[in-house]
Amino acid sequence: MSEVNSNSNINEAVTPSKTITTMVERDMKKVSNAQLVKKILSNVAIYLFLIAIAIIVLFPFYWMIISSLKSLEEYKLSTPTLFPEKIMFVNYVKAFSQGNLGTLFINTVYVGVVSTIFSLVITVLSAFAFARLEFKGKDTLFALLLATMMIPGELFTITNYSTVHKFGWMNTYTVLIVPFLVSVFYIYLLKQNFLQIPNELYLAAKVDGTKDLKYLWKVMIPLAFPTLISITILKMMGSWNSYMWPNLVTKSENMQLVTNGLRNAFTEATSGETDFPVQMAAVAIVSAPLFVVFLFFRKYIMKGVSRSGIKG
Amino acid sequence: MKKILLALLVLVTMLVNMLAMTGCGLLPGNKDDGNGEEEGKVNITFYHTMGANLRDVLDEYIPEFEAMYPNINVIHEQVGGYDDVRDTISTELTVGEQPNIAYCYPDHVALYNVAQAVVVLDDYIDFEGDYTWNLDGTTISNIGLTQAQKDDFIQGYYEEGRQFGDGKMYTLPLSKSTEVLYYNKKVFAENNLTPPTTWDEMEEVCRILKEKYPDSIPLGYDSEANWFITMCEQLDTPYTSATGEHFLFNNAENRAFVKRFKGWFDKDYVTTQEIFGGYTSEIFKETSKPQRSFMSIGSSAGATHQRPAKLEDGSYPFEVGITSIPQIDAANNGKVISQGPSLCILENTNRDEVMASWLFMKFLTTNVAFQADFGIASGYVPVIKSVAQDATYADSLAKANGTTNIAALSAKVCLEQEAFYYTSPAFNGSSAARDQVGSLIQKCFGLSYTSEADLDAQIEAAFKAAVDECKYQTGK
Amino acid sequence: MTNESVKNIRIKWDGFVKKIDAFCHKIKFDSWKGWIYLSPAIVLLMIFTVWPIFNTVRYAFLEGYEGMAALSGKTFEVGFGNFEYVLGYQNFQRCLFNTIILCVLTVPISTFLALLIAVCLNSIKFLNRFLQTIYFLPYVTNSIAIGMVFAAMFNIVGYNHQNIENSVSLGIVNNVIQFFGGEPINWINMYSGYWENIWVMVIYIVWNALPFKILILLGGLQSVNKQYYDAAKIDSTPKWRVFTKITVPLLSPMIAYVVITGFIGGFKEYSSIVGIFDADMGPPGDRGRLNTMVGYIYDAINGASKQYGRASAAAIILFIIIFAVTMVNLYVSKKKTHY
Repeated sequence: MSEVNSNSNINEAVTPSKTITTMVERDMKKVSNAQLVKKILSNVAIYLFLIAIAIIVLFPFYWMIISSLKSLEEYKLSTPTLFPEKIMFVNYVKAFSQGNLGTLFINTVYVGVVSTIFSLVITVLSAFAFARLEFKGKDTLFALLLATMMIPGELFTITNYSTVHKFGWMNTYTVLIVPFLVSVFYIYLLKQNFLQIPNELYLAAKVDGTKDLKYLWKVMIPLAFPTLISITILKMMGSWNSYMWPNLVTKSENMQLVTNGLRNAFTEATSGETDFPVQMAAVAIVSAPLFVVFLFFRKYIMKGVSRSGIKG
Repeated sequence: MKKILLALLVLVTMLVNMLAMTGCGLLPGNKDDGNGEEEGKVNITFYHTMGANLRDVLDEYIPEFEAMYPNINVIHEQVGGYDDVRDTISTELTVGEQPNIAYCYPDHVALYNVAQAVVVLDDYIDFEGDYTWNLDGTTISNIGLTQAQKDDFIQGYYEEGRQFGDGKMYTLPLSKSTEVLYYNKKVFAENNLTPPTTWDEMEEVCRILKEKYPDSIPLGYDSEANWFITMCEQLDTPYTSATGEHFLFNNAENRAFVKRFKGWFDKDYVTTQEIFGGYTSEIFKETSKPQRSFMSIGSSAGATHQRPAKLEDGSYPFEVGITSIPQIDAANNGKVISQGPSLCILENTNRDEVMASWLFMKFLTTNVAFQADFGIASGYVPVIKSVAQDATYADSLAKANGTTNIAALSAKVCLEQEAFYYTSPAFNGSSAARDQVGSLIQKCFGLSYTSEADLDAQIEAAFKAAVDECKYQTGK
Repeated sequence: MTNESVKNIRIKWDGFVKKIDAFCHKIKFDSWKGWIYLSPAIVLLMIFTVWPIFNTVRYAFLEGYEGMAALSGKTFEVGFGNFEYVLGYQNFQRCLFNTIILCVLTVPISTFLALLIAVCLNSIKFLNRFLQTIYFLPYVTNSIAIGMVFAAMFNIVGYNHQNIENSVSLGIVNNVIQFFGGEPINWINMYSGYWENIWVMVIYIVWNALPFKILILLGGLQSVNKQYYDAAKIDSTPKWRVFTKITVPLLSPMIAYVVITGFIGGFKEYSSIVGIFDADMGPPGDRGRLNTMVGYIYDAINGASKQYGRASAAAIILFIIIFAVTMVNLYVSKKKTHY
């Protein structure tokens, strides 16, 4: 939030002066050869640095994929091969059957989709109320909501754990969905977005006798669609990545989410020898959906993230 | 159609709210597994850790029990390992959804008793007269244990149910096991070795084997905690006490044996489950790779896991020998740990369920045929003497060998040592002590040091930290 | 169905609607319509946010509150006992130490690196979008899953604690070290050193934290006006001077933002350690060595005796620390931030 405000501050503060611009243009033409060489060299250095970083960033992914295609014997060679000698797709088959990944996937997708739908409904209604409706105590309530964002989630976990016990929700989908349906941050995000829609539209609609819900559905939601997509994706990613809460409240294997199953199924202490390629195949399978989503919704994800900074 | 939309909105929001309140009955796929409860019967739930082969035995006998008591319905569930059973039950106790009857170790009972959740068995063992079911008004008799049944229990096992400091009986034993030494008969024969009976002999055997096979780790000891506690028993040094000061294991003798075994570890004579990162049977079964072991100390109930994989021609690459674990003094005063699950009944407001649980517990622990079959399938030792007269059981013991009938062999070795069994005190905090001495072994083995005095100081610090940790965990 | 009855239903329906109308008018529906829209959110927040806040405070001040003991009807005294216990507990101190070390190392490193990358990225046109996308990739990963990949990269297969070189395979990181003539290091296997473990964590956490920081800082850079730089070019100011005198001050609000969020995230570090070291939170031989504050809370809740009191006290301590660090950061950045 703070960065939104400060952004605008900068823009106001740094009002360009035209005289400088023209001066610069004139000076730029006088770049000497020496300066040109210097510029090229520095550019080369920059590219080298950036590419080196890119390689470091990409390396774990590369290693994950080639390791997942190796045989165990090849994986354990003292001089590692950079590309598998014999491609072992069978590791993926093994990973899928061994780790019960099918069930875990279905669970995770189900939890993700259901919680996203409910969460969107709740967020839209709340944001609408805060942005457009007038009622007593609105501002106080909003301030209180924002205040809860300060508190780390772990503080809630303890009581929520005993609450869901009392509700008898342990080992159900409910327990994975309901406690996290409301995100104050998403409400805040959407409220800001709704506020950008001119109030005149709303008042005009009211005169026409259009009902609130219809207006919300026909006008506001389409206009705020990009934000809604960002919220959807971030929420889905959240379900995909959650670890601590599911681990706490789901003990039975057929209720677990991918993250829990992954860590438990492929690092069992029962045998001294982990089958690393199969483990890496499982990791690759679990990571793949996120990448696919990223490929298609890169813009929305990056936009959403730059505004939120909340991972998971 | 003025406010219809609004009404609809109210409806939707109410729905969402109700959903949140009622536990999302609307969401499909919730666990509500119905779990086999039957209307008009007393349903009891039994938590255990049985693998598939033992569950089969149980499933075979439950109908027999239910035929005896037609209004009881038994539901049983495997809940991971022993720690999972403990954690699941302690969680379920806080919401009143605990099972009726469960596998337990003394530590678990001490923990459940913090919540006063374990049924005192004395009232049922000595139950006189008839019981009328609240459910349907029918009456049953012969509820308690007869004197003959009591006497049939192996006394040491039976008395373990009374070790909780207040003289009351909380558990009945279901089956027993201990730790045994598995050794590679082939390698021992090739090197003219005899299995070690004392720790000194063990050191010598390790030295010889290590010299012969430089990349090997001659001995694998699965449970660090058992090792520590057993050494305390063998040396007769303090470990824990159920009364007064609980945590007594920080003393010079104990530090000395840990230091001695660290020396072994440094010479690569030995590894343990946590250090190795898996059951040490993995390297014991190994035949081709240089890194392998020739001795493995593990549960007698895990004999089949110590057996190497069959060769292509169906034979085994080597025969497994099973014998008692090394002692300080082999000639007399041997000590081996007493393990294996007992059964406890968890409190329930429904008296019918408690009674039904007792009847089921009595059935499992006193039924000769069940005890025999269960013992044969698992390698556990039965807890009643009359099983020895059971024909199938005797037959199975007679066929014992180190390859095809390895479970029977380990049971046989187990039975021979019954006089040596010990148990350690159980109290709220005994499991913390167990955890701590286990990690003490791991930690001390890994110490790097500059001088003898430095090592001593580091070991002493580790022991002190472990005692502190125990005290902290039990609330100072 | 006759026309008559349809008409009847129609009339009844209209009457019903009118009644609702009148009712709504009577209770001044519009004035609390907002509350109805908000009711789902409020109900859920009440149960899962507001109530926990009060209850956590209550638990924290009930000395030695345990879920199991509470069952037997035991009562607990009110006092600071849980806080004293937690703060005096060696394990908690270790968790606190680990958390602080990880924060202090990862936040500056990742912020500086992200700043450098963002500045470089901002100065180029060719491949800009492509590199930007690559740098963002670690963000869309599952921290447990990729943690396992990092563990595999640092792991020594068949570790031989007598002679590390005799192990089956040293792991790609050690291979690279050897390639450059270094000695292989026992990073995460049994009896690995504490600082080796920490460095593995730092590398992983920094790798994981970069995307967000680059994104924010790059966004900031793009909104900074080019004129400042052009002015600097006229003076042919050295690059590092441009960096320290222009870029950093102009970006200071964003830097403050990524530092603050970095610290908040850092104090909640947990799952990345699970990714690399498993839920045991440490290498074999010394389990729990790398446990963090969140891990401590989690263990206390999940343990057999359900130590809710101590977990709550620890959670409140965590909150106080995060709050304090955020306040200090805000204070410092306010003093240092240039607009």
